Amino acid sequence: MATYYDIPVGAQHISLLEPLHFKLTTENEKIVDVEANVGYVHRGIEKACTTKFKFRQVSFVIGRICGLCSISHTTAYSQVAEKLLNLEIPLRAKYLRILALELDRIHSHMLCLSHVAENSGFEALFMRTMKDREISMELLEALCGNRVQYDYSIVGGVARDLRPEVAQMILTQLKELRSKVDDLIDIFQSNWSLSLKNKGIGAISREDAMRLNAVGPLARAAGVPVDVRNDTEDLLPWKQVGFEIVLENGGDVHARNMVRLKEILVSMKIIENVIQGLPEGPVVAETKALPEGEAVVRLEAPRGELFHYAKGNKTQFLERLKVKAPTFSNIPAFVEMFKGNEYASAPAIIASYDPCLSCTAR
Amino acid sequence: MRRIDLPLDKVVEEIGKFYQFDKHHFIVMNAVDLGDSIELQWFFADYAAPGEVTMFAARSDASQLIPSITSVVPSAWVAEAELVDLMGINIENAKKGFVLEEDFEGAPLRKK
Repeated sequence: MATYYDIPVGAQHISLLEPLHFKLTTENEKIVDVEANVGYVHRGIEKACTTKFKFRQVSFVIGRICGLCSISHTTAYSQVAEKLLNLEIPLRAKYLRILALELDRIHSHMLCLSHVAENSGFEALFMRTMKDREISMELLEALCGNRVQYDYSIVGGVARDLRPEVAQMILTQLKELRSKVDDLIDIFQSNWSLSLKNKGIGAISREDAMRLNAVGPLARAAGVPVDVRNDTEDLLPWKQVGFEIVLENGGDVHARNMVRLKEILVSMKIIENVIQGLPEGPVVAETKALPEGEAVVRLEAPRGELFHYAKGNKTQFLERLKVKAPTFSNIPAFVEMFKGNEYASAPAIIASYDPCLSCTAR
Repeated sequence: MRRIDLPLDKVVEEIGKFYQFDKHHFIVMNAVDLGDSIELQWFFADYAAPGEVTMFAARSDASQLIPSITSVVPSAWVAEAELVDLMGINIENAKKGFVLEEDFEGAPLRKK
Protein backbone atom coordinates (compact mmCIF):
# COMPACT_ATOMS: atom_id res chain seq x y z
CA MET A 1 0.00 0.00 0.00
CA ALA A 2 1.34 3.41 -0.97
CA THR A 3 2.37 5.87 1.73
CA TYR A 4 1.67 9.53 1.11
CA TYR A 5 3.59 12.41 2.61
CA ASP A 6 2.84 16.13 2.46
CA ILE A 7 6.12 18.01 2.17
CA PRO A 8 6.10 21.80 2.53
CA VAL A 9 8.49 23.75 0.30
CA GLY A 10 8.70 27.44 1.21
CA ALA A 11 7.63 30.10 1.80
CA GLN A 12 11.32 30.34 2.77
CA HIS A 13 13.41 27.56 1.35
CA ILE A 14 16.98 27.08 0.18
CA SER A 15 15.87 26.42 -3.42
CA LEU A 16 13.45 29.34 -3.61
CA LEU A 17 14.46 32.90 -4.36
CA GLU A 18 10.95 34.12 -3.82
CA PRO A 19 8.34 33.81 -1.05
CA LEU A 20 6.29 31.01 -2.53
CA HIS A 21 4.84 28.00 -0.76
CA PHE A 22 4.19 24.56 -2.21
CA LYS A 23 2.64 21.60 -0.53
CA LEU A 24 4.02 18.62 -2.41
CA THR A 25 2.14 15.38 -1.84
CA THR A 26 4.45 12.46 -2.50
CA GLU A 27 3.89 8.77 -2.87
CA ASN A 28 7.19 7.69 -1.35
CA GLU A 29 9.60 9.82 -3.44
CA LYS A 30 7.26 10.57 -6.36
CA ILE A 31 5.31 13.83 -6.42
CA VAL A 32 1.64 13.09 -7.06
CA ASP A 33 -0.08 16.35 -6.17
CA VAL A 34 0.83 19.99 -5.62
CA GLU A 35 -0.79 22.98 -3.98
CA ALA A 36 0.67 26.45 -4.56
CA ASN A 37 0.28 29.52 -2.38
CA VAL A 38 1.54 32.83 -3.72
CA GLY A 39 0.01 35.24 -1.22
CA TYR A 40 2.97 36.54 0.75
CA VAL A 41 3.99 39.80 -0.90
CA HIS A 42 0.87 41.63 -2.02
CA ARG A 43 1.71 45.34 -1.82
CA GLY A 44 -1.43 46.94 -3.23
CA ILE A 45 0.40 48.54 -6.14
CA GLU A 46 -2.62 48.55 -8.47
CA LYS A 47 -4.64 50.35 -5.82
CA ALA A 48 -1.88 52.87 -5.20
CA CYS A 49 -1.60 53.56 -8.93
CA THR A 50 -5.24 54.67 -9.08
CA THR A 51 -5.46 56.56 -5.81
CA LYS A 52 -2.06 57.94 -4.79
CA PHE A 53 -0.23 58.71 -8.01
CA LYS A 54 -1.06 60.71 -11.12
CA PHE A 55 -0.92 58.74 -14.36
CA ARG A 56 2.49 60.13 -15.39
CA GLN A 57 3.97 59.16 -12.01
CA VAL A 58 2.58 55.66 -12.30
CA SER A 59 5.33 54.50 -14.69
CA PHE A 60 7.84 55.09 -11.86
CA VAL A 61 5.68 53.22 -9.35
CA ILE A 62 4.98 50.35 -11.70
CA GLY A 63 8.72 49.86 -12.22
CA ARG A 64 8.94 49.03 -8.50
CA ILE A 65 6.73 45.98 -8.99
CA CYS A 66 9.87 44.01 -9.75
CA GLY A 67 13.61 44.55 -9.83
CA LEU A 68 14.14 42.03 -12.62
CA CYS A 69 11.33 43.01 -15.01
CA SER A 70 11.31 46.71 -14.22
CA ILE A 71 11.88 47.68 -17.86
CA SER A 72 9.06 45.40 -19.04
CA HIS A 73 6.57 46.87 -16.56
CA THR A 74 7.44 50.49 -17.25
CA THR A 75 7.36 49.90 -21.00
CA ALA A 76 4.01 48.09 -20.91
CA TYR A 77 2.50 50.77 -18.70
CA SER A 78 3.89 53.57 -20.88
CA GLN A 79 2.41 51.88 -23.95
CA VAL A 80 -1.03 51.46 -22.40
CA ALA A 81 -1.00 55.09 -21.18
CA GLU A 82 0.03 56.26 -24.66
CA LYS A 83 -2.94 54.38 -26.11
CA LEU A 84 -5.27 56.21 -23.69
CA LEU A 85 -3.64 59.51 -24.67
CA ASN A 86 -3.70 58.60 -28.38
CA LEU A 87 -0.01 59.49 -28.44
CA GLU A 88 2.43 58.21 -31.08
CA ILE A 89 6.00 58.09 -29.81
CA PRO A 90 9.12 58.76 -31.95
CA LEU A 91 10.66 55.82 -33.81
CA ARG A 92 13.99 56.37 -32.05
CA ALA A 93 12.25 55.91 -28.69
CA LYS A 94 10.73 52.63 -29.93
CA TYR A 95 14.16 51.35 -30.94
CA LEU A 96 15.62 52.35 -27.58
CA ARG A 97 12.80 50.60 -25.74
CA ILE A 98 13.66 47.42 -27.65
CA LEU A 99 17.33 47.85 -26.76
CA ALA A 100 16.52 48.11 -23.04
CA LEU A 101 14.01 45.25 -23.15
CA GLU A 102 16.50 42.89 -24.80
CA LEU A 103 19.33 43.76 -22.41
CA ASP A 104 16.85 43.08 -19.61
CA ARG A 105 15.96 39.73 -21.17
CA ILE A 106 19.64 38.73 -21.33
CA HIS A 107 20.33 39.45 -17.68
CA SER A 108 17.06 37.82 -16.54
CA HIS A 109 17.63 34.65 -18.58
CA MET A 110 21.19 34.37 -17.30
CA LEU A 111 19.98 34.76 -13.72
CA CYS A 112 17.50 31.94 -14.27
CA LEU A 113 20.11 29.71 -15.92
CA SER A 114 22.53 30.26 -13.07
CA HIS A 115 19.89 29.22 -10.54
CA VAL A 116 18.97 26.14 -12.52
CA ALA A 117 22.66 25.18 -12.39
CA GLU A 118 22.78 25.90 -8.65
CA ASN A 119 19.59 23.95 -7.90
CA SER A 120 20.92 21.09 -10.03
CA GLY A 121 23.98 20.91 -7.80
CA PHE A 122 26.41 22.55 -10.25
CA GLU A 123 27.75 25.37 -8.08
CA ALA A 124 30.67 26.25 -10.38
CA LEU A 125 28.34 26.78 -13.33
CA PHE A 126 26.11 28.96 -11.16
CA MET A 127 29.04 31.23 -10.32
CA ARG A 128 30.32 31.29 -13.89
CA THR A 129 26.91 32.22 -15.33
CA MET A 130 26.43 34.94 -12.72
CA LYS A 131 29.88 36.33 -13.53
CA ASP A 132 29.12 36.39 -17.26
CA ARG A 133 25.75 38.02 -16.55
CA GLU A 134 27.57 40.95 -15.01
CA ILE A 135 28.33 42.22 -18.54
CA SER A 136 24.63 42.74 -19.22
CA MET A 137 24.19 44.48 -15.86
CA GLU A 138 26.99 46.92 -16.69
CA LEU A 139 25.45 47.64 -20.09
CA LEU A 140 22.06 48.32 -18.51
CA GLU A 141 23.70 50.70 -16.05
CA ALA A 142 25.48 52.50 -18.88
CA LEU A 143 22.24 52.83 -20.86
CA CYS A 144 19.78 53.63 -18.07
CA GLY A 145 21.93 55.02 -15.25
CA ASN A 146 20.90 52.33 -12.74
CA ARG A 147 21.70 48.68 -12.20
CA VAL A 148 18.24 47.66 -11.05
CA GLN A 149 15.42 50.22 -11.05
CA TYR A 150 15.87 51.65 -14.50
CA ASP A 151 12.88 54.00 -15.00
CA TYR A 152 13.91 54.01 -18.65
CA SER A 153 10.53 54.02 -20.41
CA ILE A 154 8.34 56.97 -19.58
CA VAL A 155 4.97 58.04 -20.95
CA GLY A 156 5.83 59.45 -24.38
CA GLY A 157 9.17 57.72 -24.97
CA VAL A 158 12.35 57.03 -23.01
CA ALA A 159 14.09 58.99 -20.27
CA ARG A 160 17.61 59.05 -21.78
CA ASP A 161 19.05 59.02 -25.26
CA LEU A 162 21.79 56.58 -26.28
CA ARG A 163 25.19 58.26 -26.29
CA PRO A 164 27.64 57.15 -29.04
CA GLU A 165 30.24 55.92 -26.54
CA VAL A 166 27.61 53.79 -24.78
CA ALA A 167 26.50 52.37 -28.16
CA GLN A 168 30.12 51.41 -28.89
CA MET A 169 30.52 49.93 -25.41
CA ILE A 170 27.42 47.77 -25.93
CA LEU A 171 28.65 46.46 -29.30
CA THR A 172 32.12 45.67 -27.94
CA GLN A 173 30.94 43.96 -24.77
CA LEU A 174 28.27 41.95 -26.56
CA LYS A 175 31.02 40.34 -28.65
CA GLU A 176 32.71 39.27 -25.44
CA LEU A 177 29.41 38.01 -24.01
CA ARG A 178 28.61 36.05 -27.18
CA SER A 179 31.68 33.81 -26.82
CA LYS A 180 30.81 33.23 -23.16
CA VAL A 181 27.21 32.30 -24.02
CA ASP A 182 28.48 29.92 -26.74
CA ASP A 183 30.52 28.17 -24.05
CA LEU A 184 27.50 28.05 -21.73
CA ILE A 185 25.40 26.48 -24.50
CA ASP A 186 28.02 23.73 -24.83
CA ILE A 187 27.93 23.06 -21.09
CA PHE A 188 24.15 23.16 -20.68
CA GLN A 189 23.73 21.07 -23.83
CA SER A 190 26.17 18.29 -23.12
CA ASN A 191 27.38 18.20 -19.52
CA TRP A 192 26.65 14.70 -18.28
CA SER A 193 25.90 15.44 -14.60
CA LEU A 194 23.66 18.39 -15.52
CA SER A 195 21.76 16.21 -17.98
CA LEU A 196 20.85 13.82 -15.14
CA LYS A 197 19.11 16.67 -13.31
CA ASN A 198 17.62 18.44 -16.34
CA LYS A 199 16.83 16.07 -19.21
CA GLY A 200 13.36 14.54 -19.02
CA ILE A 201 12.73 16.35 -15.71
CA GLY A 202 9.72 18.60 -15.07
CA ALA A 203 8.35 17.99 -18.55
CA ILE A 204 5.09 19.35 -19.86
CA SER A 205 3.58 18.37 -23.19
CA ARG A 206 2.69 20.84 -25.94
CA GLU A 207 -0.98 20.04 -25.50
CA ASP A 208 -0.90 20.57 -21.73
CA ALA A 209 1.04 23.81 -22.13
CA MET A 210 -1.64 25.09 -24.50
CA ARG A 211 -4.53 23.74 -22.43
CA LEU A 212 -3.15 25.45 -19.32
CA ASN A 213 -2.33 28.68 -21.20
CA ALA A 214 1.38 28.62 -20.41
CA VAL A 215 3.45 31.56 -21.62
CA GLY A 216 7.08 32.50 -22.18
CA PRO A 217 10.06 30.15 -22.26
CA LEU A 218 8.02 27.51 -20.42
CA ALA A 219 5.54 27.33 -23.32
CA ARG A 220 8.13 27.72 -26.09
CA ALA A 221 10.21 24.88 -24.60
CA ALA A 222 7.15 22.67 -25.12
CA GLY A 223 6.82 23.78 -28.74
CA VAL A 224 4.00 26.32 -28.30
CA PRO A 225 4.70 29.25 -30.66
CA VAL A 226 3.63 31.96 -28.22
CA ASP A 227 5.83 35.05 -28.08
CA VAL A 228 4.14 38.43 -27.83
CA ARG A 229 6.94 40.00 -29.86
CA ASN A 230 5.30 38.23 -32.80
CA ASP A 231 1.98 39.95 -32.07
CA THR A 232 2.87 43.55 -31.25
CA GLU A 233 4.57 44.94 -34.33
CA ASP A 234 2.18 47.90 -34.07
CA LEU A 235 3.79 48.96 -30.78
CA LEU A 236 7.45 48.13 -31.35
CA PRO A 237 9.14 47.23 -34.68
CA TRP A 238 10.24 43.74 -33.64
CA LYS A 239 10.47 42.27 -37.12
CA GLN A 240 12.48 45.22 -38.46
CA VAL A 241 15.17 44.52 -35.86
CA GLY A 242 15.41 40.80 -36.56
CA PHE A 243 13.20 39.12 -33.98
CA GLU A 244 12.73 35.39 -34.47
CA ILE A 245 10.97 32.97 -32.20
CA VAL A 246 12.91 30.17 -30.46
CA LEU A 247 11.17 26.84 -29.97
CA GLU A 248 12.15 23.50 -28.45
CA ASN A 249 10.10 20.33 -28.18
CA GLY A 250 11.19 18.53 -25.02
CA GLY A 251 9.14 20.61 -22.58
CA ASP A 252 11.57 19.70 -19.77
CA VAL A 253 14.11 21.65 -17.71
CA HIS A 254 16.76 21.07 -20.37
CA ALA A 255 14.49 22.43 -23.14
CA ARG A 256 13.76 25.52 -21.05
CA ASN A 257 17.52 26.06 -20.59
CA MET A 258 18.03 25.79 -24.33
CA VAL A 259 15.21 28.21 -25.14
CA ARG A 260 16.68 30.80 -22.78
CA LEU A 261 20.23 30.37 -24.08
CA LYS A 262 19.16 30.65 -27.72
CA GLU A 263 16.97 33.64 -26.90
CA ILE A 264 20.02 35.37 -25.45
CA LEU A 265 21.68 35.00 -28.87
CA VAL A 266 18.55 36.38 -30.59
CA SER A 267 18.50 39.30 -28.13
CA MET A 268 22.13 40.08 -28.94
CA LYS A 269 21.37 40.12 -32.65
CA ILE A 270 18.38 42.41 -32.06
CA ILE A 271 20.51 44.80 -29.97
CA GLU A 272 23.18 45.00 -32.68
CA ASN A 273 20.51 45.68 -35.30
CA VAL A 274 18.92 48.36 -33.12
CA ILE A 275 22.22 50.18 -32.66
CA GLN A 276 23.21 49.90 -36.30
CA GLY A 277 19.79 50.99 -37.58
CA LEU A 278 18.94 53.53 -34.87
CA PRO A 279 16.95 56.34 -36.50
CA GLU A 280 17.71 59.97 -35.72
CA GLY A 281 15.20 62.15 -33.93
CA PRO A 282 13.75 62.94 -30.53
CA VAL A 283 13.29 60.30 -27.83
CA VAL A 284 10.13 61.62 -26.25
CA ALA A 285 6.79 62.99 -27.45
CA GLU A 286 4.97 65.57 -25.37
CA THR A 287 1.23 65.93 -24.86
CA LYS A 288 -1.04 67.68 -22.41
CA ALA A 289 -3.89 65.25 -23.03
CA LEU A 290 -5.48 63.25 -20.24
CA PRO A 291 -6.11 59.50 -20.39
CA GLU A 292 -9.54 58.53 -21.66
CA GLY A 293 -11.22 55.23 -22.48
CA GLU A 294 -9.80 51.75 -21.92
CA ALA A 295 -6.85 49.98 -23.49
CA VAL A 296 -4.78 46.84 -23.17
CA VAL A 297 -1.15 46.07 -23.94
CA ARG A 298 0.67 42.76 -24.15
CA LEU A 299 4.45 42.70 -23.94
CA GLU A 300 6.92 39.83 -23.94
CA ALA A 301 8.77 40.13 -20.62
CA PRO A 302 11.65 37.71 -19.93
CA ARG A 303 9.24 35.25 -18.28
CA GLY A 304 6.53 35.59 -20.90
CA GLU A 305 3.41 37.57 -21.63
CA LEU A 306 2.97 40.67 -19.48
CA PHE A 307 -0.49 42.26 -19.73
CA HIS A 308 -1.57 45.74 -18.68
CA TYR A 309 -5.17 46.99 -18.73
CA ALA A 310 -5.89 50.65 -18.01
CA LYS A 311 -9.04 52.70 -17.89
CA GLY A 312 -8.95 56.49 -17.86
CA ASN A 313 -11.64 59.04 -17.10
CA LYS A 314 -10.03 62.24 -18.38
CA THR A 315 -8.50 63.09 -15.02
CA GLN A 316 -4.94 62.83 -13.71
CA PHE A 317 -5.85 59.59 -11.93
CA LEU A 318 -6.62 56.31 -13.65
CA GLU A 319 -9.93 54.61 -13.00
CA ARG A 320 -8.36 51.13 -13.00
CA LEU A 321 -4.98 49.58 -13.70
CA LYS A 322 -4.61 45.83 -13.95
CA VAL A 323 -1.26 44.07 -14.28
CA LYS A 324 -1.03 40.38 -15.16
CA ALA A 325 2.48 38.97 -14.85
CA PRO A 326 3.77 35.92 -16.76
CA THR A 327 4.48 33.94 -13.59
CA PHE A 328 0.80 34.33 -12.69
CA SER A 329 -0.26 32.77 -16.01
CA ASN A 330 2.16 29.91 -15.58
CA ILE A 331 0.98 28.77 -12.13
CA PRO A 332 -1.47 26.13 -13.49
CA ALA A 333 1.17 24.66 -15.85
CA PHE A 334 3.80 24.80 -13.13
CA VAL A 335 1.67 22.76 -10.75
CA GLU A 336 1.33 20.08 -13.45
CA MET A 337 5.07 20.09 -14.20
CA PHE A 338 5.89 18.67 -10.77
CA LYS A 339 3.64 15.66 -11.00
CA GLY A 340 5.32 12.34 -11.67
CA ASN A 341 8.78 13.65 -10.79
CA GLU A 342 11.00 12.65 -7.88
CA TYR A 343 11.00 14.99 -4.90
CA ALA A 344 14.76 15.48 -5.38
CA SER A 345 14.06 17.10 -8.76
CA ALA A 346 11.82 19.81 -7.28
CA PRO A 347 14.58 22.45 -6.85
CA ALA A 348 15.68 22.27 -10.51
CA ILE A 349 12.05 22.37 -11.68
CA ILE A 350 11.33 25.41 -9.53
CA ALA A 351 14.38 27.27 -10.84
CA SER A 352 13.54 26.44 -14.45
CA TYR A 353 10.05 27.89 -13.93
CA ASP A 354 11.84 31.18 -13.12
CA PRO A 355 9.12 32.41 -10.76
CA CYS A 356 8.76 36.09 -9.99
CA LEU A 357 6.47 36.60 -7.03
CA SER A 358 7.04 40.34 -6.80
CA CYS A 359 5.31 40.57 -10.18
CA THR A 360 2.70 37.92 -9.42
CA ALA A 361 1.41 39.27 -6.12
CA ARG A 362 2.17 42.97 -6.72
CA MET B 1 -9.44 45.15 -28.91
CA ARG B 2 -12.72 43.46 -29.75
CA ARG B 3 -15.31 43.85 -27.00
CA ILE B 4 -18.26 41.47 -26.58
CA ASP B 5 -20.85 42.47 -23.98
CA LEU B 6 -22.90 39.65 -22.47
CA PRO B 7 -25.45 39.11 -19.71
CA LEU B 8 -23.76 37.40 -16.76
CA ASP B 9 -25.77 34.20 -17.11
CA LYS B 10 -24.57 33.73 -20.71
CA VAL B 11 -20.85 34.15 -20.02
CA VAL B 12 -19.88 30.49 -19.57
CA GLU B 13 -21.97 29.38 -22.55
CA GLU B 14 -20.62 32.07 -24.90
CA ILE B 15 -16.99 31.68 -23.82
CA GLY B 16 -17.46 27.92 -24.18
CA LYS B 17 -18.59 28.38 -27.79
CA PHE B 18 -15.71 30.76 -28.54
CA TYR B 19 -12.74 29.20 -26.74
CA GLN B 20 -10.65 26.42 -28.24
CA PHE B 21 -7.45 25.77 -26.33
CA ASP B 22 -5.37 25.16 -29.45
CA LYS B 23 -6.61 28.35 -31.13
CA HIS B 24 -7.03 30.82 -28.29
CA HIS B 25 -4.89 31.89 -25.40
CA PHE B 26 -6.68 32.92 -22.20
CA ILE B 27 -4.88 36.01 -20.91
CA VAL B 28 -6.63 36.89 -17.66
CA MET B 29 -9.88 37.81 -15.95
CA ASN B 30 -10.29 41.35 -14.65
CA ALA B 31 -12.91 43.37 -12.78
CA VAL B 32 -13.58 47.10 -12.64
CA ASP B 33 -15.61 48.74 -9.88
CA LEU B 34 -18.04 51.06 -11.68
CA GLY B 35 -19.62 52.31 -8.46
CA ASP B 36 -23.14 50.98 -8.91
CA SER B 37 -21.98 47.64 -10.34
CA ILE B 38 -18.86 45.64 -11.17
CA GLU B 39 -17.77 45.01 -14.72
CA LEU B 40 -16.20 41.59 -15.20
CA GLN B 41 -13.84 41.09 -18.12
CA TRP B 42 -12.30 37.99 -19.68
CA PHE B 43 -9.43 38.54 -22.15
CA PHE B 44 -8.32 36.17 -24.91
CA ALA B 45 -5.66 36.31 -27.62
CA ASP B 46 -5.79 34.39 -30.88
CA TYR B 47 -2.77 32.30 -31.92
CA ALA B 48 -3.64 32.79 -35.59
CA ALA B 49 -4.39 36.52 -35.43
CA PRO B 50 -1.37 38.34 -34.01
CA GLY B 51 -2.27 41.44 -32.05
CA GLU B 52 -5.96 40.64 -31.73
CA VAL B 53 -7.39 40.66 -28.20
CA THR B 54 -11.02 39.72 -27.51
CA MET B 55 -12.67 40.91 -24.31
CA PHE B 56 -15.91 39.40 -23.01
CA ALA B 57 -17.59 41.77 -20.57
CA ALA B 58 -20.53 41.34 -18.20
CA ARG B 59 -21.93 43.35 -15.30
CA SER B 60 -22.66 42.05 -11.85
CA ASP B 61 -23.83 43.20 -8.44
CA ALA B 62 -21.22 42.93 -5.72
CA SER B 63 -23.20 40.26 -3.88
CA GLN B 64 -24.11 38.15 -6.91
CA LEU B 65 -22.61 34.68 -7.39
CA ILE B 66 -20.49 34.86 -10.52
CA PRO B 67 -20.23 31.72 -12.64
CA SER B 68 -16.75 30.23 -12.98
CA ILE B 69 -15.36 29.64 -16.49
CA THR B 70 -13.03 26.86 -15.29
CA SER B 71 -15.30 24.27 -16.88
CA VAL B 72 -14.24 25.62 -20.29
CA VAL B 73 -10.89 27.29 -19.40
CA PRO B 74 -9.34 25.16 -16.62
CA SER B 75 -6.42 27.52 -15.97
CA ALA B 76 -8.77 30.42 -15.13
CA TRP B 77 -8.89 29.36 -11.44
CA VAL B 78 -5.83 31.51 -10.69
CA ALA B 79 -7.37 34.71 -12.03
CA GLU B 80 -10.71 33.96 -10.37
CA ALA B 81 -9.07 33.34 -6.99
CA GLU B 82 -7.17 36.62 -7.21
CA LEU B 83 -10.33 38.61 -7.94
CA VAL B 84 -12.19 37.01 -5.04
CA ASP B 85 -9.51 38.43 -2.73
CA LEU B 86 -8.89 41.81 -4.30
CA MET B 87 -12.34 42.75 -5.59
CA GLY B 88 -14.37 41.01 -2.88
CA ILE B 89 -16.66 39.24 -5.32
CA ASN B 90 -18.12 35.75 -5.09
CA ILE B 91 -17.06 33.40 -7.84
CA GLU B 92 -18.37 29.86 -7.99
CA ASN B 93 -15.90 27.40 -6.38
CA ALA B 94 -13.21 30.07 -5.84
CA LYS B 95 -11.89 30.42 -2.29
CA LYS B 96 -10.45 33.40 -0.44
CA GLY B 97 -6.81 33.41 0.61
CA PHE B 98 -4.89 33.02 -2.65
CA VAL B 99 -3.31 36.49 -2.74
CA LEU B 100 -4.32 37.85 0.67
CA GLU B 101 -4.77 36.17 4.04
CA GLU B 102 -7.90 34.02 4.33
CA ASP B 103 -9.20 36.18 7.19
CA PHE B 104 -8.46 39.50 5.48
CA GLU B 105 -11.52 41.70 5.72
CA GLY B 106 -12.47 44.04 2.91
CA ALA B 107 -11.65 44.24 -0.77
CA PRO B 108 -8.70 46.49 -1.65
CA LEU B 109 -9.73 47.25 -5.21
CA ARG B 110 -13.30 48.25 -4.42
CA LYS B 111 -14.01 51.96 -4.29
CA LYS B 112 -16.20 51.81 -1.18
